[in-house]
Amino acid sequence: MEEESYTTSHLLGSAVISEERNSTKHDGPYASMQTFPPSNGVDKGQGYPTEAFGQQPTSNWQGVFSVSSYTQYFNVDTDVVVNRLISSLNPVSGDFFSKIDANPDLYGPIWISTTLVFVLTLLGNLAIYLTQKQEDSSISWRFDVSFINTAAWSIYGYVILVPLAYYFFLQYMGANANLIRFWCMWGYSLTIFIMSSFLLLVPVGILRWIIIILTGVASASFVALNLRSFIEGNDLSVSIIAAFCLQIALTVFIKDGEERMKAFMQEP
Amino acid sequence: MSHSHNDTIPLHPSSQSDIDEIENLINASVNQSVPSARPPSPPRASIPVSVSSAPAAPSPFISSHLPPPLPLPKSSASPPPPPPPPHPSSAFGSPPNTLTEPVWDTVKRDLSRIVSNLKLVVFPNPFREDPGKALRDWDLWGPFFFIVFLGLTLSWSASVKKSEVFAVAFALLAAGAVILTLNVLLLGGHIIFFQSLSLLGYCLFPLDVGALICMLKDNVIVKVVVVCVTLAWSSWAAYPFMSSAVNPRRKALALYPVFLMYVSVGFLIIAID
Repeated sequence: MEEESYTTSHLLGSAVISEERNSTKHDGPYASMQTFPPSNGVDKGQGYPTEAFGQQPTSNWQGVFSVSSYTQYFNVDTDVVVNRLISSLNPVSGDFFSKIDANPDLYGPIWISTTLVFVLTLLGNLAIYLTQKQEDSSISWRFDVSFINTAAWSIYGYVILVPLAYYFFLQYMGANANLIRFWCMWGYSLTIFIMSSFLLLVPVGILRWIIIILTGVASASFVALNLRSFIEGNDLSVSIIAAFCLQIALTVFIKDGEERMKAFMQEP
Repeated sequence: MSHSHNDTIPLHPSSQSDIDEIENLINASVNQSVPSARPPSPPRASIPVSVSSAPAAPSPFISSHLPPPLPLPKSSASPPPPPPPPHPSSAFGSPPNTLTEPVWDTVKRDLSRIVSNLKLVVFPNPFREDPGKALRDWDLWGPFFFIVFLGLTLSWSASVKKSEVFAVAFALLAAGAVILTLNVLLLGGHIIFFQSLSLLGYCLFPLDVGALICMLKDNVIVKVVVVCVTLAWSSWAAYPFMSSAVNPRRKALALYPVFLMYVSVGFLIIAID
């Protein structure tokens, strides 16, 4: 059963094989491809994992410092990434984990969160300026560089720490947990925030509230439903509700950041 | 004649032209008379190298201003040192002793290299599509100047928090170049780390010009237009190098972060008031 996972796992992110994989999804120690940090310099292109799996218990720390041992987490093509982005916008399907099961990638989370940092700061500032201009046309443009700082710390902190916390929590509770897949899922859940930041440029007040609420709910349900389908059979619904609330909290935090920007702009 | 070497690694298509170039230079310098192959430096008070031994040496590698290791009259007894890299400014015959040349020579050489690299990368020329030739003589002085200049310009344009603006711009560009290079390497691409850093730094030149114009002219419409034009120019400059470094199916994955970085810097230029 482990061999199955290796022979098919090199097919890049294809959802076709996900049906056969479902039975092996919850097996015990995972291959070196699916654990983090990488235990040795396993390059995905080589005829690989049989000897790597044998070395799994002895953690060879040299793999942590070489770039080639991390390429296994970036083994995606453009169409795969686009496919995952589009499916992350769908809040009710709950099958994201089966899509990424064979080949979770870290490319998506890293660049989606980076994009979100810049989009939040710059477009958020622009949106506040346009809103203020509607009400009070004498207001002038002001930009505070420290918003980038705040946005970066909060977004990166959220994407890194929340899946890590869930990983440790689920390991403690005895359910299976996989850190890479959690990072992947939480990272892709931020896609919808990027799109709504563009929509929020519309300066109509009530419309902005509706957009923000819809975004928060969609993203939170994406996270919660996928988490539920991952932890199937376990009675950990508290954690699912907590995930939902955390995502809502992120939305509220973004909205609060906008209020702070607004106050900053109105300063004499 | 290079095919007589037993190459186990397949050559990059541009490497063959490099090897041919080096062979031609070797042959050309062997035919030269040895005394004229010395670089024109002022005579130094040092251990005298006997001139009489020089014509006896058919190999160009022996004659130099460095003292000979042992008083070997025969050139064939001493193994020739490895050939120095093809240096365009000095004769190929002897290694240039750059430690004792005037400072102005060093600065002039570095400046001319920056200018030539800039012309290769940012302006249209027939070598742009060949990553082996495009930035073969890479250096990091040019990128350093451009990044610092952009940070300084943004800092001057800002009315408050000038030092923080400089810090953000510098960190964004420097860390961004490193992260972009790592991104290509992680996607399984083939680039040389420092060559890529160098290229991403040189591609900032249009944004430098744009930032300078935006600093001098404070109109929003002008800023937006200027930034859009220079942004397109920067992206056009970086495109062939980045796209040829990775698998064609991952080209967009490698190019998107470059685009993201330049757009963010462009936004910063417009947004700094």
